[in-house]
Amino acid sequence: MAESSGSELAIQVRDLHKAYGDYEAVRGIDLDIAVGEIFGFLGPNGAGKSTTIEILEGYRKRTRGDAWVLGVDPGKPTRQWRERIGLVLQDSQLEPTLTVHETVTMFSDFYPKPRPVDETIELVGLKEKRDARVGTLSGGQRRRADVAVAIVGDPELIFLDEPTTGFDPSARREAWNMIEGLKSLGKTIFLTTHYMDEAQHLADRVAILAAGKIVARGRPEELGGATEQAAVIRFRVPEGVTLEQLREAAQAPVDIAGSEASLQSDDPQPVLYRLLSWADREGRKLEALEVSRPSLEDVFLQLTGGAPQSAQEVAA
Amino acid sequence: MSDVALVVKQTGYSLKSISRNPRAVVFTVIFPIVMLLLFASIFSKGGDAHTSFQGGQIDTDAYFTAGIIAYAIAMACFSSLAISLTTERESGLLKRFRGTPVPAWTFIAARIVRSIVLVVFQVVALLVIARLAFSVKLSAEGIAEVAVFSVLGTAAMCALGIALTSVTTTPDSAATIAPFGTVLLAFISGVFIPTDQLPDSLVQIGKIFPLSHLASGLQAAFGTGPVHLAGEDVAVIALWGAAGIIVAARTFRWEPHTQS
Repeated sequence: MAESSGSELAIQVRDLHKAYGDYEAVRGIDLDIAVGEIFGFLGPNGAGKSTTIEILEGYRKRTRGDAWVLGVDPGKPTRQWRERIGLVLQDSQLEPTLTVHETVTMFSDFYPKPRPVDETIELVGLKEKRDARVGTLSGGQRRRADVAVAIVGDPELIFLDEPTTGFDPSARREAWNMIEGLKSLGKTIFLTTHYMDEAQHLADRVAILAAGKIVARGRPEELGGATEQAAVIRFRVPEGVTLEQLREAAQAPVDIAGSEASLQSDDPQPVLYRLLSWADREGRKLEALEVSRPSLEDVFLQLTGGAPQSAQEVAA
Repeated sequence: MSDVALVVKQTGYSLKSISRNPRAVVFTVIFPIVMLLLFASIFSKGGDAHTSFQGGQIDTDAYFTAGIIAYAIAMACFSSLAISLTTERESGLLKRFRGTPVPAWTFIAARIVRSIVLVVFQVVALLVIARLAFSVKLSAEGIAEVAVFSVLGTAAMCALGIALTSVTTTPDSAATIAPFGTVLLAFISGVFIPTDQLPDSLVQIGKIFPLSHLASGLQAAFGTGPVHLAGEDVAVIALWGAAGIIVAARTFRWEPHTQS
């Protein structure tokens, strides 16, 4: 059951349940999150992500099950416990009329051993905006201010609830660098996101939540490219070649969608060999040839019943 | 840092933030002062006009000074608290604060202390302006009575402002209902228009609410002759305040309504 062999746990959850009236939002979750890791908690909207994170943050009471966050029951949050935890909430905004420096200073007063304010502002990349009012910042900069406020108390554990939602790609990259910087400070990070590339890039381990239950867990590369998952071969259909010819050449169930041919195989090497030899013999060119393991996104969509948009599902 | 020190610091940030909000500055600070200058100039007719009050006469300038003090207390406490707390709740700031180690009450306390600071500033400013511009004088007993009603009015109006946040689910609704309600009551409570110039039915409606009793309690302090605390005014304000505390304690929420 224990996933992190031997190392100390920052968060441990057993059979966590949460019901709102008759509706069960969380239906028996187990988690073991080691000190110092970035844990990605994924799931579509309504899967129970927010409920779970809010239980662990001490905002909501669980209906059933056990939870320990830094060794403390989050259902009974204490002042000492809150001093060890940093929060970036999904929809919370800071006071727009105060400057970044004033805001971070204000929050630093809440903690017994805060980090230096200017150093914290620099760490999140807001040095240039130190004296700008929070209300004048861009969306990405405001999120950084949220992070500054979350880490100024020098917490051991940081909850990041969808920290990059609404970011443009370059802002997201910068945020990723910042989060990796937090990890290098030895912080444990509980990250929720609905960007699979974000989880793949940042998380040491992920759990995928669907309808209140964890449906998959593991390292992102294991989940995405697990050996039991078939590889996908894609290429552009050469002109004048029929589906039957391709199937015969590959000796595999090739599919054609538009101008793209794709096929799924547990053992792609001989299939590729047959295809390439055939192309060589016929003097054909297999353009846009690509072999890929299903990504975390493919796994996510499969498990959570998302729209079938990956080639393997078309082929299946 | 002790919790009391935290409240003081929070109050400082809260005052700083309100001072950078032009709408708040205009409505809570500037508007009452302008109103005093305006009404006293319009109605006092050169300084010797009198308004009938509780069977006797009171200098019209003094009457308006007292009424505008009541209005300023309602704006600085009832209206300002309702707007701030609703805005801070709906933006998620209150929820964010509640996730810090600091006891949640300190945030509410800091906003109440901010209202108290604003009231002290307004009462002193209005009294000084009334003295300099309209020669409105207060006896020693009068000062004591102004102090008593200011404290009582501040407490009740703060409680009612917090209670109002249970029905204002958006910052816009708070910023509409609270000041509009206060202005409306000011017209029928002897604040903007002397009660002897109003139809009795409107005066009676006004008397249901605390603003009219706060105004008349303060107006009595400016009267000549023996000053007495008006028991009825104290009782009505205290009852409204108690109701506000009960509603506030039972319905106050930290989390925004807009959450999914």
